[in-house]
Parts: sequence; C-alpha cells; structure tokens
Amino acid sequence: MTIRVLPSNLVNQIAAGEVIERPASALKELVENAIDAGAHKIEVSLTGGGKNMLSVTDDGIGMTADELSLAVERHATSKLPDGDLFQINFLGFRGEALPSIGSVAKLSISSRKKGSAEGYKITVEGGKKGAVEPTAISSGTRIEVRDLFYTTPARLKFLKADSSETAQCVDMLQRIALANPHIAFYLYADGRKKLALNDCNGAVPEARRQRVADVMGTEFKENSVPITAQNEFCDISGFVSLPTYHKANSLSEYLFVNNRPVRDKLILGAIKGAYQDMMMSGRYPVCAIFIHVNPRYVDVNVHPTKAEVRFYDNGSVRSLLVGAIRNALSFGSQHSANTGGLEHLLMRQITAETERMKVIPKIGDLLVHDSAREYPHFQRPISTAPAHHRSMPEVNLPQLEREFSVRVADEPSPQTLEQVGELGLAKAQFHNTYIISQTEDSIIIVDQHAAHERITMEHLKQSITKHERIPAQMLLIPEIVDLSALDKENILEYSKTLAELGLVVEEFGASAILVREIPALLGDTDIQKLIKDLAAEISEWGNAYALTDKIHHICATIACHGSVRAGRALNIEEMNRLLRDMEKTEHSGQCNHGRPTYVKVRLVDIEKLFERR
Amino acid sequence: MKFIIEKAVLLKTLGHVQNIVEKRNTVPVLSNVRIEADSNGISFKATDMDTEITEVIDAKILENGAITAPAHMMYDIVRKLADGAEVELTYPDEKDLLKIASGRSEFSLPTIGVEDFPAISADTLPTNFEMKRDELKDVIDRTQFAASTEETRYYLNGLYIHPKDEGETKVLRIVATDGHRLACVESPLPQGAENMQGVILPRKTVAEIRKLLDDSAAETVKIALSDSKVRFSLEDITLASKLIDGTYPDYERVIPTDNNKILEVGVKSLATAVDRVSVVAERTRAIKVIANKNHVILTTSSPDLGSSAIEEIEAVYDSESLEIGYNFRYLLDILSEIKGDTARFSFKDSSSPSVIHDTSDSSAIYVLMPMRV
Ligand SMILES: Nc1ncnc2c1ncn2[C@@H]1O[C@H](COP(=O)(O)OP(=O)(O)OP(=O)(O)O)[C@@H](O)[C@H]1O
Ligand SMILES: [Mg+2]
Repeated sequence: MTIRVLPSNLVNQIAAGEVIERPASALKELVENAIDAGAHKIEVSLTGGGKNMLSVTDDGIGMTADELSLAVERHATSKLPDGDLFQINFLGFRGEALPSIGSVAKLSISSRKKGSAEGYKITVEGGKKGAVEPTAISSGTRIEVRDLFYTTPARLKFLKADSSETAQCVDMLQRIALANPHIAFYLYADGRKKLALNDCNGAVPEARRQRVADVMGTEFKENSVPITAQNEFCDISGFVSLPTYHKANSLSEYLFVNNRPVRDKLILGAIKGAYQDMMMSGRYPVCAIFIHVNPRYVDVNVHPTKAEVRFYDNGSVRSLLVGAIRNALSFGSQHSANTGGLEHLLMRQITAETERMKVIPKIGDLLVHDSAREYPHFQRPISTAPAHHRSMPEVNLPQLEREFSVRVADEPSPQTLEQVGELGLAKAQFHNTYIISQTEDSIIIVDQHAAHERITMEHLKQSITKHERIPAQMLLIPEIVDLSALDKENILEYSKTLAELGLVVEEFGASAILVREIPALLGDTDIQKLIKDLAAEISEWGNAYALTDKIHHICATIACHGSVRAGRALNIEEMNRLLRDMEKTEHSGQCNHGRPTYVKVRLVDIEKLFERR
Repeated sequence: MKFIIEKAVLLKTLGHVQNIVEKRNTVPVLSNVRIEADSNGISFKATDMDTEITEVIDAKILENGAITAPAHMMYDIVRKLADGAEVELTYPDEKDLLKIASGRSEFSLPTIGVEDFPAISADTLPTNFEMKRDELKDVIDRTQFAASTEETRYYLNGLYIHPKDEGETKVLRIVATDGHRLACVESPLPQGAENMQGVILPRKTVAEIRKLLDDSAAETVKIALSDSKVRFSLEDITLASKLIDGTYPDYERVIPTDNNKILEVGVKSLATAVDRVSVVAERTRAIKVIANKNHVILTTSSPDLGSSAIEEIEAVYDSESLEIGYNFRYLLDILSEIKGDTARFSFKDSSSPSVIHDTSDSSAIYVLMPMRV
C-alpha cells in the first residue's frame, strides 16, 4: 500500500463532513462570517429547506477581488492576525467554512469592499474554483449556496423533510440572533417571511433584553429573572426561568460563550445542578445565558462545529454560574441547610442508581419493548441467579437470618423461598409504604406503591401492544394546538406512529396542528399539554414515548382500581412476592415518573456512617 | 344573639351552606358561616369567593345579633344531636364564644366577627326571568353530564345558556359539550330572557343549584343575570355565583343536519344490552354498533384477555348496513336521559357525528362523535 497526500478537494470534502452537517450548519457558518464582517443587517433566504438554495446577504465590510479569491482557499482567514490560536476575537478562525461548502455544493460569492466602486464575483462548484469576475452589487457580500451535498449523495439522504430543515435553520438563526441584538436578522423560506428581528437599540443589557423578548416570547419574559455574576476572568449574564416554568427537554436552554451559540456539557450540567431540588426531575428550565471569558482562558477549537468549548478553569465557571442562578432565584440562603451525613450518602446512592437505571428509549421500540436490550439487569429469568449470587447455596430464611444477624421478623417465615434475587429478602415494612429487604452487601428500601404500579403497568403494556390497536375517540370539536415550526414538523413527522396510538393530527397553518382524534382511554384530557410534551420529547429523544406512557399509565390505573398497594400492610410473603415480581419486570427500577422504585444503601456506606471503616 | 330552632331545620340549612365552604382555607373567615338574627328571621351565609349562598329560616329569636363560626364543625355537631331536639344558639356566651346547647349537650365554638366576612357586592343584575323548578331541574339533568371537566378548556366547564329564534317560536337553549359529545336542550323562552347575552354557568354552580332544587318546595326559581354574575332565588335560598368568563365555541356548526340514515330502537332494550356487553370492554370503552335491516348488533371485545360479547336487538332501519364505534359510557349517558320509549339515531357514516334524540320529544338532541375501533 502506498501512502499518498490526499488531493485538496478530498480534504475539503472530509472537512465539510465535519463542519457542514445540514443546511442549518451552512447557514451558521455564513451568518457568522457576515457578523465577523461587521454587518448591521443580515438577510437569509432559502428554498427547499436550504437544500436547493441558501443565500446570506450582509452589509458588512466586503471583499476585494484578491480577498475573494483567497477566501475560498483552505485555511485562508483574515481573522487570526498574529497567528495566535489563544487570542480568538472573531467567530471564525479556521478558514475552513467556505472551502468546505464549496466542495459539497455550488457556491457563489459576490462582494463589494467598503469604499470601493466595483463588485466582484467568484464561484466554486464541487470544489472547482472559477475565475473572479466583475459583477454589480451594492456594498457588502452576498453568498449563495445551491444544491448542497450534491457531491455527497449519502449525506443528502440523511437530511429530513424540507419543512423540518427549514425549522432547524430558523432555530439556528434565532440562536445567533440572541447573541447579536444590535444586528437585524431576516429569514425568508420559499418566499415566505419566517423571521424578522429588527436591530435593538441601547447598550448591550437593554438591547439584549429586547432581543430575548423578541425571540423567546412574552411568556418567557414574564416567567424569568435576570442573572449576573463576575469574577476576574469571566462575566455571566442572561435570563433564566423560574422553577415553575419548564420544558420536557433541554433544547430551550440557549447558551453562549463569547457570543458563540454552544451546547456545552459543563454548562448544561451546571444549570441542572443549580435547579436541583427546585424542579421536578425530567423537566428543564428555559434560559438564555451569556458567558464572556477572556479569549485567553477558553479554548473554542475543540469541536468541529464549535458547539463545545473548553474552559481554562472549569470549576470556577461552574460555581460562578450555579451561584448566579441560585441567587437570582433567591434560593441562595437555603443552600446551607443541607445536613450531610446519611442524607448525603443516600442522595449519592440514589443519584447513582437512577443514573444507572435511566433508560433512553430508541426510535422504533415505541410499541414493543425489547427487555433484553433496555434493561439487561432485570430481564434475566429468576431461576438463574446473578453471577455474584451463584456461590450462595439454596438460601432459606433462617440461615440468612443467622448470617446477617438480624432479628427475624414476627411474620411466619415462608416455607419455601424461590431463590433470592438481587432485591434480597424482605425484612420488614415501614409506615405501610416501604419494604426493607437485605442482600448480601446492602439494604434495599422499596417504595411498594411505585413498584406495584410499575409492575401492573408493564403487564398491561405487554398485553395491549401485542394484541390490539388503540381505539381512538374522534373529536366533535377538533383542537388546535399552536406550536413552534420545529415542534410542528416533529409532530407531523411522527403522525403515523401517533395515529397507531390513537392520536390523529394534521397540519393547520404555518405553526399549528389540528387534533382530530385522541386515544379514547385518555377521556377528557388536556390535549394542549399532551401535544406539547410529545413535541418536546420527540425533539429530544426522537420518539413519542409520552403518549405510550400516558396510555399505559391509565391502563394501570384502570386495572388496579382500588387494589393499589399503597399504605397497605403486607406480610412477609407478599413482600417477597413483590420483590420477585420486580426482578422479573423490566423497567421496575423506576416508576413511571422516573423516580426510583427502590434505593440501595450499601453496607460499606453504613459502616462508614458508624465510622467502622 | 340568641335563638331556639328545631334540629332538622337547622341541619338542612347548614347542609346547604357547608357545601359551598371549602374544606381547607387559607383565609380563616371563609371556613365560617355567617349567622344573623333580626326581624326577618335567621339568615345563614357562606361563600368561597366565587359562589355565595344565603338561606333565611324562621326560629324563635330571643335576641338579635350576628356572628361567624366554623361551618363544617357546626354541621357535624348538629348532625349528631338527637332527632327532634331543640337547639339553642347563643353569642356571646360567658366565654365570649358561640354556644350551641341541646338537651344536656353543650358546645362552645370559636368565632370571627362579621366585619371580617367578605361582602359580595349585591349589584343589580339587569336580566331577570323565572323558570319552573321542575323545568330547570330537567334541563340541567339533560345537559350537565356532557360538560367538560378538563380545566384547560375552562370555557367548556359549564352550561351555555342563550336565547334562540326558531322561526316563530323563541326558545332558551342550554348546551353542554366536552368536545366528544354534545347535549342541546330547548325550553320555552321565559319572559325577560329575550335580550339576554349567552352566558356560561360554571359546573360547580350548576351542581349546587341542582341539589338545592331537590331540597326546595318552591314552584318557581327566579334567575337574575349580568354578563359576569348569576343569582338563583328559591323562596328562602339565594345562590349567587360568578359566570365563566370565556367565549363558547360555535357549537351549532358541529350539529349535523344532513344525516340521513335513520335507526329507531327501543331505549330500554338498547340501554340494557349496551350495559351487558360493555362488561367485557371495561378497559377499551369501545362498543361497536352494527345497524342492519331491522336489527342492531352490538359487539365488544378485549383481545388481550380474549373476551368478547355480542347481542342482537330489534330495530327499525332501512338504509345500507353501517358499522360504527362508540364509547359505551357516552352512549349510556345519553340513553339514560331519553325518557320516551324509542330513540332515533341519525348517521351519516362511521366517522361523522351521530345525532340521537327521543322520537316523542324534540326538545333535546344529543350529538355523539364515534370512536375508531
Ligand atoms: N460575508 C463576508 N464578508 C466579508 N468577508 C468575508 C465574508 N465571508 C467570508 N469572508 C472572508 O473569507 C474568509 C474565509 O471565510 P471562512 O468562513 O472560510 O473562514 P473563517 O471565517 O476565517 O474561519 P472559520 O472556518 O472558522 O469560519 C474570512 O476570513 C473572511 O476574511
Ligand atoms: Mg467563517
């Protein structure tokens, strides 16, 4: 095999694969270039979701004929003056975007340098660079991208429906617009105006407040508080929602580092931490947070689309942000009320357990759950004991009692016990609500109500999805649900699956859907909330679990009638039965609200508590 | 204040007023009933700030006065007193409390002065008319069940009442819907209601007045309305309430007029058959109605359990066969309000709303949206 240097066209295509994923990422690169060029007004126009045509016109500084020719060369940039990667003051710095786009599309750039009388134009088609020619254009730059990915059909296949790509473009421009309130942004899709954000006046805080309201809506404005915090190298400002205002996913957390839109795990984690114990689990705040760091203390060159950054001092950014949010929500004072000790240990354990049990469902298993994949932990038939238990002989209760030296419960001991599973042997019940069991190396506390609910539900779920279609109640008065363009597309994309579940929707205008039928089981239900939750879930996980879950939950309630084992005294046999059922049931580690059904306290932790270790 | 009253009379009145009082209250005085003795008799008043009830009864008044005391506690005390006993209420007693004495029992209750009790403004309501008690009872019964309980669509959480020109006759229309089914009842237009605006009576108020109607011997009910309030007066009881502030949907659009497949079937035989076969469909709630020439077949099933049911009943039907699914509970709700012998169903097809009414009474129609099963 001979080693050879790749032709530059191929290199560009490879780079494009990383930088340009879809029309929205091309839009991002072009709009960022326009911002770097000092534009006051940026106009985006696209057709066919940006796949046919995407153009960005700005009134920035423009380029001379020479600069134009250089701009489409790889690694040509005007933005790293001293060649110092640690002093990045522009959004662009790699000189990679234009050649990348040029290698996978038909790119044409027209530009007229400020103060110059002539305009010039250059084209790059599938990596082939044309000659610079004079053209008529007013001052500024217009970049047009046609037939994106025509050289890489495989990539093209991955794109979604036009309307969905359009929606992502709108979302991307909104993100950029949030960070640049002094610039006016317009977006037209297939000739229709989708976004019109006038430039905002005043100093940054004022202008930003206005832009946030324009982009994120009055509901957010009314339900949010401003945050602000500084230390010697970092400055944080923005708006965060009150704990009572939340969404089902984190997509409405708008984050910016030095005016770049990012989705950085560190920042997302810090936000989650700041809202901990204030917001229901599984819900996310809405926020726009702007972090400014001296360019020397942040590395923006760690991710191909610049979506992640690396801070010089993670810890201090994190604590500054958490403090700012907590202060703004005025929960700062309660912070010190934490007691530590067992509570702390338990919390750690609970988090660890829930983390482990958290199952992210995948597309396609909406109807039938494949237990083996989703929850390997509990799908094993009960007769084969887990590996670390295999050494234990057929266990009977008295023997265990001795081994663990715990007082035998007063209940008559079961004659024969099936082999003990991972949830151990039931010892006692507390407050008629919690079962305490013990295993070789830990104590397990089971919430009997949550556990039983889950078991019944899983049972029903199986029978329903295997045997019948879900009956739908047609609506006498169809319900109109207003949604964002992105949410609307998401719902419509899943409309077939939803129809199988009894929810029939259709398109209704640019940003709404019409609900025609709902699953009959839901009865007189809050349709608005159902659809919004579904939309949020689809955009985050790519499936419509909320509906299935809701249906299943109702089934469970129906099936249980009064027999839900809440606050009911159980004897030892019943408790063990429940533990064994849990072991056999997939997902039994969490109730349908994602809360754990049981908590494990390891013996070592208890020993630590008593300072035996 | 001091008066002597018969237990049964006091209990009945307290029963009415304590219904309005919320079990838990953040404003203490809202847990109380206001009692006032003067030359008109004893008046009892309670409110939850949305609804207010006042009832005036006769008693042997020994001393005029007014005070408020915990409503639920008073009700529980009086309920447990011996039947036929006389009860004496005194305020203030030696301890400055409200004393309830009967036979050898004596209770002292904490009080709050009447000046803290919210006075709901007694503004004059421009629209005034009367309805026969039985008639009001009837229109409530025939519509109430169809109102929505889902709180986000608050404007459907009640009965919509408005006058309507039906050619030469003018009627009062009472409508309820939850978006799945709709009930629309007409009643002769009472004098005074000709120019009223359509209003939405909240479900809670409707349920409350419905209970009072059963308990009252009054011949007629006076109804007074403004665009935000309603007041019902039955002899000694007055119930005032806020109206739902919202726009009722244009319900007439969903009542089909061109359904031309007509089925006539005995109400009783249909209702009992639906009730029977629905046992196996408790969870799916779905029942399939198959209309064939001169008979109807009802089927239900629960495939997961492997259970199913089928029943055939006689009917009059002359159009092409039609298979249509319903939520059996909705169907039973409607059938139970049809008092005549025969119900008439008119269908268009299995995915359009069906219209149901009593063949011997055209004052009520029910619209039921099918289920896809
Ligand atoms: N709209 C524009 N107005 C003026 N000059 C532009 C414009 N777009 C691009 N340029 C010039 O072309 C150069 C190349 O742009 P390109 O986007 O390829 O690289 P970059 O912005 O420098 O870095 P990055 O790859 O990180 O975006 C820029 O450095 C800039 O000088
Ligand atoms: Mg760039």
